[in-house]
Amino acid sequence: MDTFLSVRHVSRTFPGIKALDKVSFDVTRGTIHALVGANGAGKSTMMKILSGALAPDEGEILLDGKPYRPANPAEAIQASVSTIYQELNLLNLRTITANVNLGREPRRWGFLDEREAERRTTSALERLGAAYLPTKTMVGELKVGEKQIIEIAKALVSECRLLIMDEPTAALNDQETNSLFAIIRELKAGGVTILYVSHRLKEIFMLADQVTILRDGKSVHTAPIAEVTPDSLIGLMLGRKYEGAFPEKNRALGEEILCLEGLSSPPAFDQVNFSLHRGEVLGITGLAGSGKVELGRALIGDWPIANGHILLHGQQYRPDPSRAKAAHIGYMPEDRKKEGVLEELSVRRNIGLPSLAGLSNRFGWIDAKGERCLAQKEVDDLAIRTPSLEQLVRNLSGGNQQKVSLAKWMAIRPELLLLVEPTQGIDVGVKMEIYRLIHEIAASSNAILLVSSEIPELLGLAHRILVLNNGAVQGILDGDQTNEEEILQYTFGQKRGEQL
Amino acid sequence: MLAQSKTARQRIVDLVGENGFILIFIVWIAILILTTRTFLTSQNIFTVLRQSAIITIVGIGEMLIMLLGGMDVSLAAILGFSGIVSVSLMVNYNLPPLAAGVAAVAVGGLIGWINGFLVTKVRINSVIATLGMMNVLNGMALAYTQGKTIVGPQLDGIAFLARGYIGPLPFPVLLMFVLIALFYLVLNKTLYGANVYAIGNNEKASWLAGIKVDRLKMLTFTLAGLLAGFGGLMQASRQGSATSSMGNEFLFPILTAVILGGISLSGGKGKVQNILIAAIFLMTITNGMVLLGISLYVQGIISGLILILALSLDRLRYRRT
Repeated sequence: MDTFLSVRHVSRTFPGIKALDKVSFDVTRGTIHALVGANGAGKSTMMKILSGALAPDEGEILLDGKPYRPANPAEAIQASVSTIYQELNLLNLRTITANVNLGREPRRWGFLDEREAERRTTSALERLGAAYLPTKTMVGELKVGEKQIIEIAKALVSECRLLIMDEPTAALNDQETNSLFAIIRELKAGGVTILYVSHRLKEIFMLADQVTILRDGKSVHTAPIAEVTPDSLIGLMLGRKYEGAFPEKNRALGEEILCLEGLSSPPAFDQVNFSLHRGEVLGITGLAGSGKVELGRALIGDWPIANGHILLHGQQYRPDPSRAKAAHIGYMPEDRKKEGVLEELSVRRNIGLPSLAGLSNRFGWIDAKGERCLAQKEVDDLAIRTPSLEQLVRNLSGGNQQKVSLAKWMAIRPELLLLVEPTQGIDVGVKMEIYRLIHEIAASSNAILLVSSEIPELLGLAHRILVLNNGAVQGILDGDQTNEEEILQYTFGQKRGEQL
Repeated sequence: MLAQSKTARQRIVDLVGENGFILIFIVWIAILILTTRTFLTSQNIFTVLRQSAIITIVGIGEMLIMLLGGMDVSLAAILGFSGIVSVSLMVNYNLPPLAAGVAAVAVGGLIGWINGFLVTKVRINSVIATLGMMNVLNGMALAYTQGKTIVGPQLDGIAFLARGYIGPLPFPVLLMFVLIALFYLVLNKTLYGANVYAIGNNEKASWLAGIKVDRLKMLTFTLAGLLAGFGGLMQASRQGSATSSMGNEFLFPILTAVILGGISLSGGKGKVQNILIAAIFLMTITNGMVLLGISLYVQGIISGLILILALSLDRLRYRRT
């Protein structure tokens, strides 16, 4: 075997947590090697070390047989290692050419050689089958999938031999994902070694040659992909046997909590009608741009409503976060880092924040002990992994941040929870816990509105699934009767419910 | 799986970084104690503290706004305007000192409320909105006073504010400590303080958590205006007169004290007690140079250098991400 990258006993410690503990694995030259693990398993730390953003505390890394220890990302790129992060690092106000050549602009007599830059860009785009992209376009005008291609072109121009990709399909639709896979296979054929970091097991089985599993900062297993199954992979990530993700649905539905009558906000969504009952999970799905996220946001007041009514317990309701809180409505936004948590504040304060008014006396004096108890209870209930209540949320792993953004609403004892893509970007372990919580909330006769693109999770959790296409309701399907294929037909607008 | 303790070198960097300007402050005091006879007298110390009082009190308001991620450059102008209002009411309209004082503070609060309105409802950036307000107020002050000094025997009625004593302690110094203690509690123990830090940290997430962001901002701008109005009253008492330019000398010290005190320009971070130390430090720089007999022409250079040095040390903590 021709080993290209060899990671040997690499450890890295952060305050309060050992992120990597003697991690070792080998990557064969010219293969696609998947790196998987639950949130907090150490994937991001490993990636940052390989890309030069972090230094390991101990251990060594060999690249093509030579010691590899980049002091910063520039040195890593120099050593032919390129990294594409999930949140793409592109300059939206510069052209494709400027982005592709960024940091290694060709020069002639000290001046920028624009013709050479242009030539390099065109040839890189050709290699990626994206010659149709005009090189003078501002990157900000491109779609996410195209931006992804620009990132890869950037890596090609820097003559990368090891390409590290972090969840590259997170923001892509199926078609874009397929063309990205074609490109990745093309790169592999051209001799580039690829380290593919992802939660999406389906993709790993489609793409990877080898897989390394990290768990709690340790490398637990490396194997050819043919030797593992999805279930055994999940088992290795979790460290226990995996027994199906979804609990039995709650069957005891009660009175109506929420009712939408002709809610419209063109062009995002138009004429949405549904009712939601106690004990029920209502799924809302659709493609990107179908209006499902906007509908979720409108219900908390974060998206304007042009027409229609919302009835809450039969009363007119004008959405607004502080009124919603008073009515025991919780809202978990799609973008947890920007909207769900306050990164520079403690776990305690993040969880306590919506409950503080209830925890303070009439002079506004906060019951500090009450806040601690409340936060501790949620940390225990949701199994949030944190060294202490005072830890800053910034230092938690993504999945635990997601749990914090849910925990603060659990603390107000919600009667209605609005969840927008609650399992986006988190691993299967945390996903299962969030599913369990959704089930528990419904079972204690509260209601859940679940906006999601993950059809399996909708089928597993929702009593009914409302499908949007281009802002229009295509149908409300019975979660027990329908299947993935039928939902897809509705999302693409190829089929509509008769009653509509 | 707890981490290894920090290295000794990192600890020193942390210590200096966390307290950068305090270190320079201590060195500067040491120099003054060694080279002058007069610095360490209670009279001189009280002079420094008294000079710090107005800056600290108005600085608290500035800090609250900066914790929210904004900035108010009109506070010094509010101070001047309120000072003129109070003096004019007493001298020209013979209002009793208490009524004139309440009016001056109320005027400050009203202007602060307008600032808050412009920022939250009209959605103008706070620096721009308050810059406009500053010009309006300075213009009104000039138009009203016609550039003349307002002075009269009626002002004896407010002399206590800046020159009075309670026991051995000058009243303004006592008030300064009381307000710092009060706002320490407000920021660390109350709902208002928790919400201020939350909004400064992430406004959108705080709003989605059900905090009434706009109302809290309006309240904070108003509070800062009230404090600045009170500062104007104190300054009128201190100089025993009012002039159109009486707020000008406070513009930079207020902002410097707050920034030196480590209040993050992007909001969400900072401790109120540091403003007190920073304000005293600022006054000690000026005081020390007078005591050392440094020529007025050179003073600006030296005070600027000391400030830059203190701020540079302060930034050490941001060097490591």
